[in-house]
Amino acid sequence: MERTNKIIALIIKLVFWGLLVAFFVWAFTNDMFSTIVEQPDTFFRLLGEHVTIVLLSGAAAVLLAVPLGIFVTRPKFRKSEWLIIGIANLGQTVPSLAVLALAMGFLGIGISAAIVALFVYSLLPIIQNTIAGIDSVDDDMIDAAKGMGLTNSQILWKIELPNALTSIIAGVRTALVINIGTAALAYLVGAGGLGVWIFTGIRLFDNAFLMSGAVPVTLLAILIDYLFKWLQFALVPKGLRLARKAQNS
Amino acid sequence: MIHFNDVTKVYNGNVKAIENMNFNVEDGELVIMLGPSGCGKTTLLRMVNQLESITDGDIMLNGKSVKQSNKIEMRRNIGYVIQSNGLFPNMNIEDNAMIVPNLLGWDRKKMRDRFNTLMELVGLNPDQYRKRFPHELSGGQQQRVGVARALAADPPVMLMDEPFGALDPIIRTHLQEEFLQIQKELKKTILFVSHDIDEAVKMADKIALLKGGQMMQFAEPAKMLNKPANSFVAEFVGQDRVLKSMSLYTVKDLATALTLKPVSESLEAQNINENLSLRVAISKLLNQEADQLIVENNNGTNKGSITLDLIEQFLHREIKESV
Repeated sequence: MERTNKIIALIIKLVFWGLLVAFFVWAFTNDMFSTIVEQPDTFFRLLGEHVTIVLLSGAAAVLLAVPLGIFVTRPKFRKSEWLIIGIANLGQTVPSLAVLALAMGFLGIGISAAIVALFVYSLLPIIQNTIAGIDSVDDDMIDAAKGMGLTNSQILWKIELPNALTSIIAGVRTALVINIGTAALAYLVGAGGLGVWIFTGIRLFDNAFLMSGAVPVTLLAILIDYLFKWLQFALVPKGLRLARKAQNS
Repeated sequence: MIHFNDVTKVYNGNVKAIENMNFNVEDGELVIMLGPSGCGKTTLLRMVNQLESITDGDIMLNGKSVKQSNKIEMRRNIGYVIQSNGLFPNMNIEDNAMIVPNLLGWDRKKMRDRFNTLMELVGLNPDQYRKRFPHELSGGQQQRVGVARALAADPPVMLMDEPFGALDPIIRTHLQEEFLQIQKELKKTILFVSHDIDEAVKMADKIALLKGGQMMQFAEPAKMLNKPANSFVAEFVGQDRVLKSMSLYTVKDLATALTLKPVSESLEAQNINENLSLRVAISKLLNQEADQLIVENNNGTNKGSITLDLIEQFLHREIKESV
């Protein structure tokens, strides 16, 4: 059973990589990335804008959402959970384009509108994963820690956060990967980014523009995804990583 | 060491969980709180280290009111062991066991020495386990680490909430015996929660039997078995209570109280070490393995023999005495 699963997984991987290679062969032979080759300066500027929008909005979201998640899991403030989740939910439920439009309404055209919109958009997954991570910490563990005389902040830093870290990082990873895609819409509020080439390509029916914008966005998303996988590996305590592995095997 | 003075716990203004509880745990004593689920034994235990608040009355710990003590400081001076061990999966065994010394700011060398001593004490090889993680250990090993962790800063008082309850019977018996050995050496003041009468009889210096938040009887195991205070106690300890009480006495106790019979040539005989319990002796006699048991001490010296008659005589005497 396990053997057949492995074989199926291998076949799927091979097919996937095969298609990917075929795509790039096709793209290069048809000069799909000619725009990048012809205008490298513009490409790096757009890429820079794209990354700036994603990272700044992401960093701001982490700085607000993680503390908020911790805040609502404190027993004293537990009652505020519905309010905070409700507000964050609102940011997430409104379509990304509408959030961008609203942000532009307040902040005018430019990069700040895009950053604020994506920031709002990233809050919910990070808050939710922070809360879920902290809630998943075994009550008996907390009880033992309290009984041994750890203060509340020691319990948070030594027990709750290390044990919730996997979940928190997963939340940030989800938010950022979604944001890389959504940041392509930033062009619509005049914030630049690789969306500029994607939308130009759509308007002109020009595949070279389209691919030169879309492929780097995709690669960026994959890169960030791997980066966070590595971050998870590096930051999550070894014992938890091993325990998870042992549980899965 | 631990004095319960009229301790009362009321939930939601009207549900009485504990009512006017009064008893003392003396220095170096192991007291087991026993009772059916919901009798308030765990609540009472958790009131000592203030994980539960006290509605009325007070608990004095070494002469100091727990209500007025600094909770954090007080808890660091109380060993705490729970059923599910509560080890931290993000820390290795050494960090887990040394968490309280770490909070107290011990230096590395002192912590390492303490870890080695404690692991030897609970029967685990310190170097083999130091860098391992909780999930890599069996349930029994985890609970040993749990006990080591509670003993880490050498607290005079320990609170144990069904520490061996989640283990399988063989491992449980092992750990109980090992823990008794440790306790003989360390003489901690221990308050222990259990729902298992056999565990209580085996381990406790005194048993506090609770029901519905009230004390049914507070007495030495032998007394509770031989002279239950009321029908609830009698039912809880079981109708075989006399047999249970047999495990409280050794053959030596009998030999001290009564004169042993001379060894009879006509009866089938077996040897028995004087340090074994009367329960073993009686079982051997009933099992038709022998009609008399020749008592010998650790050096193998023959001290006389016991028969069922003699055990019966001893029992009557003990039951009468404890009345």
